[in-house]
Amino acid sequence: MPEIFVTVFDVFMRTYPGFLEASVVTLELTAIGVILGTVIGLVFALMKISGSKILRGIANVYITVIRGTPLIVQIMFLYFGIVEIYTMSNFWAGAIALGVHNGAYIAEIFRGAIQGIDPGQREASLSLGMNRKQTMQRIVFPQALRRSIPPLGNQFIITLKDSSLVYIIGVAEIFSLANREAAQSYQAFESFLVVALYYLVLVMIFTFLLRLYENKLDVDKA
Amino acid sequence: MIVGKNIHKSFGDLEVLKGVDLHVKPQEVVVLVGVSGSGKSTLLRCFNFLEMINSGEITIDGHTINPKKEDLAKIRAEVGMVFQHFNLFPHKSVLENVIEAPITVKKMKKEEAKKLGMNLLRKVGLEDKADVYPSKLSGGQKQRVAIARSLAMEPKVMLFDEPTSALDPELVGEVLQVMKQLAEEGMTMVVVTHEMKFAKEVADRIIMIDQGTIIESADPKNFFENPQNERTKQFIQLVE
Ligand SMILES: Nc1ncnc2c1ncn2[C@@H]1O[C@H](COP(=O)(O)OP(=O)(O)O)[C@@H](O)[C@H]1O
Ligand SMILES: [Mg+2]
Repeated sequence: MPEIFVTVFDVFMRTYPGFLEASVVTLELTAIGVILGTVIGLVFALMKISGSKILRGIANVYITVIRGTPLIVQIMFLYFGIVEIYTMSNFWAGAIALGVHNGAYIAEIFRGAIQGIDPGQREASLSLGMNRKQTMQRIVFPQALRRSIPPLGNQFIITLKDSSLVYIIGVAEIFSLANREAAQSYQAFESFLVVALYYLVLVMIFTFLLRLYENKLDVDKA
Repeated sequence: MIVGKNIHKSFGDLEVLKGVDLHVKPQEVVVLVGVSGSGKSTLLRCFNFLEMINSGEITIDGHTINPKKEDLAKIRAEVGMVFQHFNLFPHKSVLENVIEAPITVKKMKKEEAKKLGMNLLRKVGLEDKADVYPSKLSGGQKQRVAIARSLAMEPKVMLFDEPTSALDPELVGEVLQVMKQLAEEGMTMVVVTHEMKFAKEVADRIIMIDQGTIIESADPKNFFENPQNERTKQFIQLVE
């Protein structure tokens, strides 16, 4: 067997207890980033399609600023802006940064899906005597949500990979572990190869679960 | 039952309705005809407040509507509307489509709504389709479900906007049949359609609308045999 396989295997065996622990942190960051991002995204999507100029303006500013600046800057900004002022752990600063970042992208996913629903759906609902709120809650949004699931799934996967950036504020997720391992062992190539495999496996599991869920939705609707 | 007085409606600079007067009596069936773009859909949509009129007056069952002050949802519940493209809710089963508004708007108990829904589906000949999703239905079946869905709110008037125009020819009959039955039961109806046979058989009155004004209003016999307006004569030649 070539030398490289042996050394990668060595690094893998030496580091897997640490990586398993750090994987939990990565998954927690991802989960919080996604859940928080979905809540924020929903609020801003509704603001963006609302009748109020002020709400639309606020949503536009938020989305433009977040999409126009790098995530790593947002993480640093939140870290120094929040952790310094309020006592908050690095983990939460990172998770909130991911959520705020995701919120802008998810807002656009929801907005696109809601506006993509045939106007006839809204008209049919209104013509039956349902008010605007009932029409949104019971007719438009459930259909938009279904349409959002594939792009949301995509966003989840991006979040999983983006969570690596919070290593910059010292959160013990898998990338920071690989980074430390590389520095300490002088086996940088092997360490980053191993962490790449962790991400790859996590993403593949995610993708598989998403596909199962999408198939289930298709069957329900048929 | 539904009265429009001097209705004006513009989209930007385009004046689509130029002072329309229409008085539909209880249990009357009025068929609206006219070339494409003449304002037929707009007029129906104004009656259902899906479009707001610029000036004029709409009275439903003796009650003149002030759209700024009133709860439009309540008014729309009294005016049923059937669309050219059905607009069934694709994420709900056939029965769920029918009982959605009674449950959400009228707060009807689910059991009661289901009973009502099944009765209406029976009426349109689709009780065996209660649990399937709209995507599994033919166009004619979809439109019959849409009619049942409107009827579930027990509207005082039903508006039909080209209900058979999107259907394959062999499916038109089953929808017209349901509409004819409704007319016979005494439903007040305003129907935009190109089905002249239906108009002759079912309508109490045929109204021709041209460039946003009513130019002819007569019972079917007079409309076809003795039209007054030049444009109506041309129109009749075109469709006969
Ligand atoms: N929402 C709208 N915005 C702008 N123009 C419209 C709108 N709806 C209808 N129109 C215009 O109004 C005119 C009448 O349309 P419509 O009432 O749909 O006619 P019909 O149903 O008789 O074919 C057309 O010229 C159409 O383009
Ligand atoms: Mg039309």
